[in-house]
Amino acid sequence: MTASPLAAREATLGYGRHVISEGLTVDVPEGEFTVIMGPNACGKSTLLKALARMLKPSHGTVLLDGKDIHHQPTRAVARRLGLLPQSPIAPDGITVADLVARGRYPHQGILRQWSAEDERVVAEAMDATDIADLASRGVDELSGGQRQRVWIAMVLAQQTPLLLLDEPTTYLDITHQIEVLDLCAKLHREGRTLVAVLHDLNQAARYATHLIAMRDGAVVAEGAPADIVTAETVQEVFDLPCRIIDDPESGTPLVIPRALAAAPR
Amino acid sequence: MTVLRLGGYSIRLRHRVLAAVLGSLAVLAAVAMWSAATGSTSLGLERVWDALLGQGTKGDEFILWTLRLPRLAAGLAVGACMGLAGALFQTLTRNPLGSPDLLGLTQGATTGALIAIIVTGASLQVTTILAAVGALATGLLIWTLTRGGDPSGYRLVLVGIGVSAILAGINGYLLTRTTIIDAFRAVYWLTGDLSGRDFRQAAAVGIVLAAGLVVIAFLHRGLDSLRLGEAAATGLGVRVGATRVTALVTASVLTAGAVAVAGPLAFVALAAPHIAARLTGSARSLLCSALVGALIVTAADMIAVAGVGDRQLPTGVVTGVVGGAYLIWLLIANRKKGILS
Ligand SMILES: Nc1ncnc2c1ncn2[C@@H]1O[C@H](COP(=O)(O)OP(=O)(O)OP(=O)(O)O)[C@@H](O)[C@H]1O
Ligand SMILES: [Mg+2]
Repeated sequence: MTASPLAAREATLGYGRHVISEGLTVDVPEGEFTVIMGPNACGKSTLLKALARMLKPSHGTVLLDGKDIHHQPTRAVARRLGLLPQSPIAPDGITVADLVARGRYPHQGILRQWSAEDERVVAEAMDATDIADLASRGVDELSGGQRQRVWIAMVLAQQTPLLLLDEPTTYLDITHQIEVLDLCAKLHREGRTLVAVLHDLNQAARYATHLIAMRDGAVVAEGAPADIVTAETVQEVFDLPCRIIDDPESGTPLVIPRALAAAPR
Repeated sequence: MTVLRLGGYSIRLRHRVLAAVLGSLAVLAAVAMWSAATGSTSLGLERVWDALLGQGTKGDEFILWTLRLPRLAAGLAVGACMGLAGALFQTLTRNPLGSPDLLGLTQGATTGALIAIIVTGASLQVTTILAAVGALATGLLIWTLTRGGDPSGYRLVLVGIGVSAILAGINGYLLTRTTIIDAFRAVYWLTGDLSGRDFRQAAAVGIVLAAGLVVIAFLHRGLDSLRLGEAAATGLGVRVGATRVTALVTASVLTAGAVAVAGPLAFVALAAPHIAARLTGSARSLLCSALVGALIVTAADMIAVAGVGDRQLPTGVVTGVVGGAYLIWLLIANRKKGILS
């Protein structure tokens, strides 16, 4: 197995005395597009926060490049790993271009506050997320989907080889969901390592190259989507009886839920 | 957007912010000049100029160098400190009302000043020092009480309000223990005034201001990113805890310096960031806040010197009226939006 750039080792995660995950060990495989799935409140965001050093494990460690992430300078970490939080806050009145430009923070210093490189990267990030023509608009006057793409652009502008995205497709219409996922797939092809939380199992099965299924704070199954997205695992993780067929478009597994009421018969 | 690049140095400035900064600088220069020229004896710009260059009469030079310039310099520095401190507190608390008054630093300074007035019978020097100590100690107390807990601004605001209530109680008690003369002095100090300030005091606040500006030069980008929320800021590599502590300490020191020399000039710290936000178009500019703070105090002091009838007013009376009126106007103007910023 190749060394994973980011991993949790025997990590106990929680908020105060409220423990969410105990002794959790997860490897983010290098160069893969990992998708974490699982029911609401099972600890997906908590795991992502821990991997992004926003939450310190009470036991165990999170390793970035083999070293404890909490013992590395946070700006250096920010050049390796970018995070899109589940519900970020946009300050009143900030413009799209300004918000995306914040992504350059870990690359700047007191003297080098806005280099030609910064300018180019920000423009690229806005093009990639299709928000270039919103550049001078205020973020608070955008639709939920436009806003989500602005935040993704900010994380892209950070230019990190590792990207953690917590539900990057929420708020987006079906076209923009596919656009964001295609963008993720493109970033993955270009060699970045991605971790995303997704709720749509069919999208997860289609885009992920590695799946992690969680329930009640623990990893229930992980591996290639074709091996994980089975009727048994979906039943085990989501308590949802379903049939699996081949997605006629991509050949990946497609989950067809059965009616819950009819299921016992 | 204007980008400035010089060798390894590069900075990006929004046109509106640049215009607001240059505009306030120009108005500030005009007000400063006007306030040097007017007063109980009107000098006029020509005589001010002569006296500045050392070619004026003895009397003119005395008025300018001993009476007016120190007071002007103190007002500029005090106002800038308060504007900066207000902007820092508003950013830290994520609250448009976050200010040294709300968080209890002003009350802390008052406690120090009252103790000085009661114990030493109001030696200006001791009052200055103890007021500064009071403000700093309050800042430290708030930091200790909010440390480790939920780092959102609300906790800071609530702890600040609590501390402020306790200190107000102590201040009330101290006032009842003074002689009538000391009580009068205390009330006078509480109003805030710039009259009789000399170059030593102006220099002291000036040094505090310069130190604050240096710290902010390093801090402001981190603070800006903090406004995206803790999670996003951490993701960007901001040392959230260190940034918050440094900002709180800086704001406390700026407040301490300003209040020690001028007393708690009402509403400057609160109003300056809001006016600056209007001028810059909501991008919170710390520098612009400082300039607006300096402008409010200098202009208010000029009005205070002109006074009502033939009586000069304490500077704090004017800043209170001007700042209060502004705040009410802001509330009325924003009542439909339901937010204050
Ligand atoms: N800041 C917090 N403080 C206290 N408890 C929290 C906090 N954030 C999450 N929790 C709790 O931790 C548990 C796991 O939450 P988490 O956000 O990781 O779920 P999730 O799998 O991301 O769910 P969702 O799909 O709804 O986003 C939940 O029970 C939640 O109530
Ligand atoms: Mg979540």
